[in-house]
Amino acid sequence: MKINKDTIVSIFLLIFCGIMINSSYYIEDPGYQGMKASFWPRIILWLLSIMSLVMLVKSFADNVDSIKAGSFSKINYMQFKNALICFGMFIFFLTFLEYLGMLIGGILFVFGLLTFLGGFSIKKSTNHLIISVVTIGVMWSIFTFGLKVILPEGELIRIW
Amino acid sequence: MIDVILQAFASIVFDPVTLGLMLVGTLAGILAGAIPGFTIAMGVILTLPFTFGMTAIQGLATMLGVFVGGFSGGLMSCMLTGIPGTPSSVATTFDGFPLVRSGKPGLALGLGLWSSFFGGMISAVILVALAPQLAFLGLEFGPWDYFSLIIFALTITVSLSGGNIVKGLIAGLLGLFAATVGEDEINGVARFTFGFDEFRQGFAFLPVLIGLFAFSQLLTDVEDGKRAKSPLMEKSGTLVRVEHRQAIAIILKRWINLFRSSFIGIFTGILPAAGGSISNILAYDQAKKASKNRSNFGKGEYDGIVAPEAANNATAGGALIMMMALGIPGDIVTAVMLGALMIHNIIPGPTFIQDEPLLAYGVFIAFFVAHFFMVGLQAFSLRIFLLVTKIPMYVLASVILAYCAIGVFALHNVVFDIWVMFFFGVIGYFMKKLGFPLAPMILGVVLGKLAELNLARATGISDDLLLFFLRPWSLFFLIMAVISVIFPFYQDAEKGSKFSNIYVPASVFALAIPLLFMESITRLIIALIMIGISFYFVYKSFIKNKALIN
Repeated sequence: MKINKDTIVSIFLLIFCGIMINSSYYIEDPGYQGMKASFWPRIILWLLSIMSLVMLVKSFADNVDSIKAGSFSKINYMQFKNALICFGMFIFFLTFLEYLGMLIGGILFVFGLLTFLGGFSIKKSTNHLIISVVTIGVMWSIFTFGLKVILPEGELIRIW
Repeated sequence: MIDVILQAFASIVFDPVTLGLMLVGTLAGILAGAIPGFTIAMGVILTLPFTFGMTAIQGLATMLGVFVGGFSGGLMSCMLTGIPGTPSSVATTFDGFPLVRSGKPGLALGLGLWSSFFGGMISAVILVALAPQLAFLGLEFGPWDYFSLIIFALTITVSLSGGNIVKGLIAGLLGLFAATVGEDEINGVARFTFGFDEFRQGFAFLPVLIGLFAFSQLLTDVEDGKRAKSPLMEKSGTLVRVEHRQAIAIILKRWINLFRSSFIGIFTGILPAAGGSISNILAYDQAKKASKNRSNFGKGEYDGIVAPEAANNATAGGALIMMMALGIPGDIVTAVMLGALMIHNIIPGPTFIQDEPLLAYGVFIAFFVAHFFMVGLQAFSLRIFLLVTKIPMYVLASVILAYCAIGVFALHNVVFDIWVMFFFGVIGYFMKKLGFPLAPMILGVVLGKLAELNLARATGISDDLLLFFLRPWSLFFLIMAVISVIFPFYQDAEKGSKFSNIYVPASVFALAIPLLFMESITRLIIALIMIGISFYFVYKSFIKNKALIN
């Protein structure tokens, strides 16, 4: 038997449905008349389980794009490199948003991302710095002064 | 009625702020449509945060500018570089690019531009005429009918969004499930919060939508490191002078093609999920079939430019009809507009045009006006387009990712919304990689609460679930849902096979049945005509099969 991406995804979805169906039994029932709060999600989850099962069965019949069981060597992890950099930078940006604020955090995020994705050299870094300061500065000004949105200030600025 | 239209007209045309916002919106739309890798939907999504501080009509007018501009923006890149800026302009490339290469770039651009304009104008007239009528029809709907309509909208999205139908259904169901997280609107009970207080409010649909669509798209755009570092377009084209008069004369001579293509665009726009990407190809195909110069298609034939451009702009009007009349967004763009209205505490539905006539007619007027801006801005936007194409994708993507975060935060001033956007961005990225269409999931998130609310209302009124099959409109939409689920199998079926012969007549016959019970002479006549058509199809295939056997 061969396992492909769809097999793994459908198994993951089945586990997900199992957990969520189980959780749906813990949804409080206030005893009001009419449709219970757990009714609609349960319908969706059962349908999702059935569809995942269909996908699982189909994946066994489908040999296209298959990889040997237990071996993931054919997946090219490098194709996700840039996406993973973006994920990492974004998590960093969000984690430190409270301390750095939207202005400084945003500038650092854009500068970091530009450097990781575009490469490092003195000329490039200077350009990246200018781009990040100008773009985030303009956006921050539009939202703060134009749209009157109070963006996170950051503890760093408050300490200053 | 007239006074409302005049008031709406004044609120758009005599308000310099609204006009200015529309102007900027249209320009942004043209550029978003022209840049490969960007889509009109992304342009509208990125505009959304700026509309928070505006009035409802200003926000919608700006988004309409982006929407209308986006459709015509695609023609610039496809004609000047041979690369379609958006999927809605793919068919324009077939004849637009050869015409440019034959030394007529000004005429090619003029044909595209004015076909877009006329197509948009035709659909605007249909929008104004049809939306209020459809809204009257919507007043007949009970919660059973609404629930079934939503099910139909989701299934047709699945079948038209391409790829594997099982994966499409899974995506739609995941979207519906995401909408159940948080406090249930009927009982006020927390669901799937796992002890996190932030989850009690549920996932606001705009961060989910921006994450699933824009965030995941940007990640895909920078995936190829080498491509991400090179300018958006290697060949950015040259500045040309648009031949307006000649183009208008040519288009008006081809008025049948113009009207046919516009109606194809409007019809595909009304269908959920079938946007400009489908209508431009359909219209091109029909224009080719109807033309006497079929051999000229692909070599710079004028009809080959008029058809797709008229159709894709007409799609915008069609998509607005469903949103304005029934409050059901047909695609991502109208879903975003729906979100913009909700921010202003306006819930579109069948009573929307009656309850908010100024806003509704303002949308109609803005749709008209945006087309004039589109024509006026083309020459100017061409210059900016040539500059923008020199920027590498990684620069744009990095800046826009940060912008998405700021925009999403501005929605409710909550950092949790940015986490939601990020989380759904990651999910969207991997779902795309694994071959799941995102459109059904997005519509699932948008329509999930509405579906549950109507199901609760229906079951609250009566325990009898058979009402979903006994009420004519509900049955009509459920039959449509079944037809749309089977549609991909019909597409794959061999021509002349039993299944492909029976699919169309059986569908027409099945749809006629609920119409028979609608207590209206007109609908009865339509039903009888439909039954007649279905029998004619069966008879025709019977004769054809008999001839083949003999």
